[in-house]
Amino acid sequence: MKKAGLRGYIIKRLIYAAIITWGVVTITFVLLRVGPMSPADKYLSNMSARTQDPAQVVAAIEARYGLDKPIYEQYFDYVVNLARGDWGWSFSNSLPVVTLIRRHWVYSFQLILLSMLFSATLGILIGVFSAVKRYTRTDYLATLFSFIGISIPNFWLGIMLILIFSVQLGWFKSYYDTGLPMFSLANLKALVLPVITLGTGMMAGYTRYARSATLDNLKQDFVRTARAKGLPERVVIGKHVLRNAILPIITIIMFDLSGIVFGGAYLTEIIFGIPGLGRVSFNALFASDYPVVVTITLIGAMVVLLTNLATDIVYTRLDPRIRYD
Amino acid sequence: MNHNLLEVKNLKTYFFTRNGVVQAVDGVNLALRKGENLCLVGESGCGKTATALSILRLIDSPPGKILGGEILFHDEDLLRCPEERLRQIRGREIAMIFQDPQSSLNPVFTVGDQIAEPLKLHLKLNSKEALERARELMEQVGIPQADERMKDYPHQFSGGMKQRVMIAAALSCDPEILIADEPTTALDTTIKAQILDIFHDLKQARNMSILFITHDMGTVAGIADRIVVMYGGKIAEVGTTFDIFDQPAHPYTQGLLTCLPNISAQQQRLTPIPGTIPSLIDPPSGCIFHPRCPKRMPICDQEDPPEVFISDEHRVVCQLYKQPVTSPGKTGDTHSAQ
Amino acid sequence: MTEKKSGQISDRFGGRRNLVFFSGLLALVAVILLDIYLEAQILEPMGYFYIFFALVATCYALYPLYVNRRLTRYYWERTRRHRLSVLGLAFIIFLIAVALIGPLLTPDPTKVNFDKKNTPPVGFTIQQSVFDTKTDQLVSRETPGTWQHPLGTDEKGRDMLAMLVSGARVSLQVGLLATLMAIFIGALMGVMSAYLGGWWDNALMRFTDVMMTFPFFLLLVFIIFIFGPSLAFIILAIGLTGWTGTARLVRSETLSLRTREFVMASKSLGASGARIIFRHLMPNVISSIIVIATLSIPGIILAEAALSFIGLGDPTVTSWGVVLNAGQRSLDTAWWVAVEPGIMLFLTVLAFNFLGDGIRDAFDPRSQQ
Repeated sequence: MKKAGLRGYIIKRLIYAAIITWGVVTITFVLLRVGPMSPADKYLSNMSARTQDPAQVVAAIEARYGLDKPIYEQYFDYVVNLARGDWGWSFSNSLPVVTLIRRHWVYSFQLILLSMLFSATLGILIGVFSAVKRYTRTDYLATLFSFIGISIPNFWLGIMLILIFSVQLGWFKSYYDTGLPMFSLANLKALVLPVITLGTGMMAGYTRYARSATLDNLKQDFVRTARAKGLPERVVIGKHVLRNAILPIITIIMFDLSGIVFGGAYLTEIIFGIPGLGRVSFNALFASDYPVVVTITLIGAMVVLLTNLATDIVYTRLDPRIRYD
Repeated sequence: MNHNLLEVKNLKTYFFTRNGVVQAVDGVNLALRKGENLCLVGESGCGKTATALSILRLIDSPPGKILGGEILFHDEDLLRCPEERLRQIRGREIAMIFQDPQSSLNPVFTVGDQIAEPLKLHLKLNSKEALERARELMEQVGIPQADERMKDYPHQFSGGMKQRVMIAAALSCDPEILIADEPTTALDTTIKAQILDIFHDLKQARNMSILFITHDMGTVAGIADRIVVMYGGKIAEVGTTFDIFDQPAHPYTQGLLTCLPNISAQQQRLTPIPGTIPSLIDPPSGCIFHPRCPKRMPICDQEDPPEVFISDEHRVVCQLYKQPVTSPGKTGDTHSAQ
Repeated sequence: MTEKKSGQISDRFGGRRNLVFFSGLLALVAVILLDIYLEAQILEPMGYFYIFFALVATCYALYPLYVNRRLTRYYWERTRRHRLSVLGLAFIIFLIAVALIGPLLTPDPTKVNFDKKNTPPVGFTIQQSVFDTKTDQLVSRETPGTWQHPLGTDEKGRDMLAMLVSGARVSLQVGLLATLMAIFIGALMGVMSAYLGGWWDNALMRFTDVMMTFPFFLLLVFIIFIFGPSLAFIILAIGLTGWTGTARLVRSETLSLRTREFVMASKSLGASGARIIFRHLMPNVISSIIVIATLSIPGIILAEAALSFIGLGDPTVTSWGVVLNAGQRSLDTAWWVAVEPGIMLFLTVLAFNFLGDGIRDAFDPRSQQ
């Protein structure tokens, strides 16, 4: 009964995810067509130097990419090609977009993963500690720091870190070295400043959420029950409170992906020259390389969708109160 | 020393809120004897719960603070013993049950785990033994299909069943004292009767000492051996159940009893006590009950009322009884003027 | 007689201020159409934004605040308890004053003067190589900060103070206008969704979900990439993408209100749909809207700054992001160019966060202890 409910729930969530995916793809298509420049113009603005008659080139490109077909056929092709994994050709890199993505995603991935680990661990620890020590000087200090962390623009923080630790002190390189092997200490060191840049804002956010979630749960009667059983305070907090507080924190962390994390990673990659997807998209912007920009935007949306889906499903395991209907 | 298992002496617990200092418990003396059921009665907000929580130092701090007094358990002062020692007592020797079983159980752990938790902690049982013991306990408190239900989560239980789970968890280490803070208030009347039966059996079968806190005189009548009536953070009257119901001395106690519907007496209507419970931030001078007291005398708002022994077991704090009664031998309980 | 009639008309719209609002809106649309038709440039695009949001703000924020003066004072008292939020408000007022008056007092922020390049702020002195016209050689010379450029100049000799003042204007414009727009769309979506229910609710909420699935900044970059950067368009883009959170919040608040007695009561009295929405539902969610508005301003200011920083900002305006971008390139020669706009940005965002936090606590009945 319960199992069947769970399966039904997951199927429902998958169908829902498919609908959202369709919506996301459609919106990008509409935006591309509504825009003042047709994709062909975008190509053209990039290739104009090499051509004689722009009108001819436009016609050629439109024929090549099917832009002369009726709009519904174009839409159909667009969706089908995306689904088949044919994401177009990046002319500024002279590569299929798929290859480009395959080559660069790992840099974004390691940056985001490390930043999330760093910020979630530290943020939750400080937040819980701050809640336990509520209304003391430690708590006020933590709150103030979290305010500062939330308010500090991460791209400025990155520049300041470079200014202090690279330009003035010379401890780190100001530019990410792509030659380093992925799993090496040197690579980890190269990522210190970027991770702090991206992670500080997230950490501050998690500190606040962790604090308020912990405070909410500390007020609950079951905390008193746990104390009345004679449990030491570290078990009361670490087991009874944290197990309840962690659920909303996880939601927030997952939700943050679409907001702070992706925007932040984009900027961080640009500042430190990390060749991740943000940097690739940024370069493509100025080369008018639109298939790359479209694909990376779509990938961002898909990652958000999948993490939300995963969170919802993991939640059914973590929170016994959730019902699947 | 004596037959008092737990003695509370001159306990003061204040809450320091933004609006002022709430004198929730102000100089309370009481004693719990071995194997008796002592009921602590009073309107809500009179300091009963604060008293109970103070015994195990479970007052939330801030804003609450225990400012003074002694709580003697086996001649050991719980207010001054180290936290470490107190934790050994909590759940092991003195267990507690709370008012709202809904929120008092942790929603994300199975009830079996929650009952087994003190067993693992205090008796050092391993998981399997503890869960086996938890199942027995659930059967003892009348939860059907215990071996199945112990894997369920609190939200899958009804209110009465949750309170049974709470009781099972409290009983798990076979404590000497059980403090029950309004355990039946949140329950339906029929369920309430079943839970009270459990308490009755507990006392019979285990000879356990119970401090039972309630605002409901009807509940008290059925289970109490002795009764402590509290009003406004202070004790108004202490006596055996017979004393309190048959010869209530304090006007407040009398008021509480007239609130009870009585089938046998030819009573036309229930008389509520006029007025509301006073603010404990800025309590009335003299006797705290005087603004609502039907037998008020001029002296009542001038002087703190004296404690008077009507009999060995029956004492009252009221000006009405201020006669040169020689108190029989016992001293130290006198309510000193502040 | 006429009084009564106008009362009836305004009642159909759910109150007089809605009538005022809709007539204002109609007039504005008329002017825009006229503008397009005549190609007359009656107003700059930004002008329409200002008028529209002045209308919204007057009808739905200032007017209710004025009518419920006692409530306003009560909330103000509660907000004031947070010392930091008062500090934040003070800074915001200061910034608004700077943005309004500042440009009159400072030099042109776009004026280039290579003789004065890389002047440090007052109190600092740096060594830099300068082209000496007498000897036709690069010589290393001490450059002290001067009061002529109290915050220094950048690599092109533009006055930092002037650029920061100009940036304050841009940031506030974007922050306030885009937020108002996003909140307006979000609130409308949320209330409609909750009120219409059924199929409409489903469609609107799925659309919201789709918009929420896009990472905010990536979508913004994508839109600006397609449509090209201009300040008015950036504001529009932020407004059109940033409404999702508000829509969800307002929907859930409205749903919980819809079943309350007073809405039921007015429904049973035969009140029209519009009247219920504007008269009964909107005012009751307004406190949550104010809170979410204040709290979303910082993110929106940061989004604009980030766009300008990566070079997708309006090339014709000097915003903090643009200055910061220039500063990043001259970190080893002129650190202040990167430091100063960042500090301004940081303080502005901090101020709005402090204020938003205070307001949220003031509106939250649970926060009273």
